[in-house]
Amino acid sequence: MNDFLFIFLSFFALLGAFGMIVLHQPVHSALSLIVTLLALAGLFALLNASFLFAVQIIVYAGAILTLFIFIIMFLNVKESNLPKEPNKTLYLFLGGIVLIPLNLLVLRAFYAMPLLREPLAEDFGEIKPLGAELFTKWLLPFELISLLLLVALIGAVVFARKDEV
Amino acid sequence: MIGLTHYLVLTGILFSIGLVGVMRRTNLLMLFFSTEILLNAVNIGFVAVSKFYGDLSGQMFAFFIIAVAASEVAVGLGLLILWYKRNGSVDLNSLQMMKG
Repeated sequence: MNDFLFIFLSFFALLGAFGMIVLHQPVHSALSLIVTLLALAGLFALLNASFLFAVQIIVYAGAILTLFIFIIMFLNVKESNLPKEPNKTLYLFLGGIVLIPLNLLVLRAFYAMPLLREPLAEDFGEIKPLGAELFTKWLLPFELISLLLLVALIGAVVFARKDEV
Repeated sequence: MIGLTHYLVLTGILFSIGLVGVMRRTNLLMLFFSTEILLNAVNIGFVAVSKFYGDLSGQMFAFFIIAVAASEVAVGLGLLILWYKRNGSVDLNSLQMMKG
């Protein structure tokens, strides 16, 4: 059952990503990206990461994609203002072939590592152990991330301001 | 039986798709979408390694990557709107004023 789910979800993730880079209109690409993000959320659930599953759907598919689509509608880019991309498909295909050695290199590096033998803990990846670890071992990165989000918030407000000041 | 290798292959393919998108598309919005694909591909890799090695650090990293992606989108789209208001174009090739 898990194998079938993995194949199903990864097929949709790859299909969405492929559609994202091939389609011409930004709105179509955004909708295609939603398919990928939801499929990846499903993969998170398959990997015992129930908290990340929720975060992926709420933050990515909920907030970030809404922002993207809002911006696309707001800009209302005309078809004539979209950049012309001649021979796009050919270049994408050639780029994919060029990147195959990189993939093989990364995979070989992972084969050198030993796998975990004993079964996972019952509550692995749920909110409680994740939160306990986040606020003990990862406290400093957590605070830095909150600072980064604050900086991004202020930056977005400054960009959106009118120029008179 | 689906193992770590399958997840890493999926990560590699998704990352390649995103990288090719970053390199070959000249639409600035597509550049953002491709960056999202890149970050998500890495997330899947982190979470898969986290599960198969029984270590929560991978999930922590995925969590932080999502936060970084959110802030990147907020700032990047603000810049994109400013650029579009000024130039009326989302073409990456029009953004060459810093080219030497």
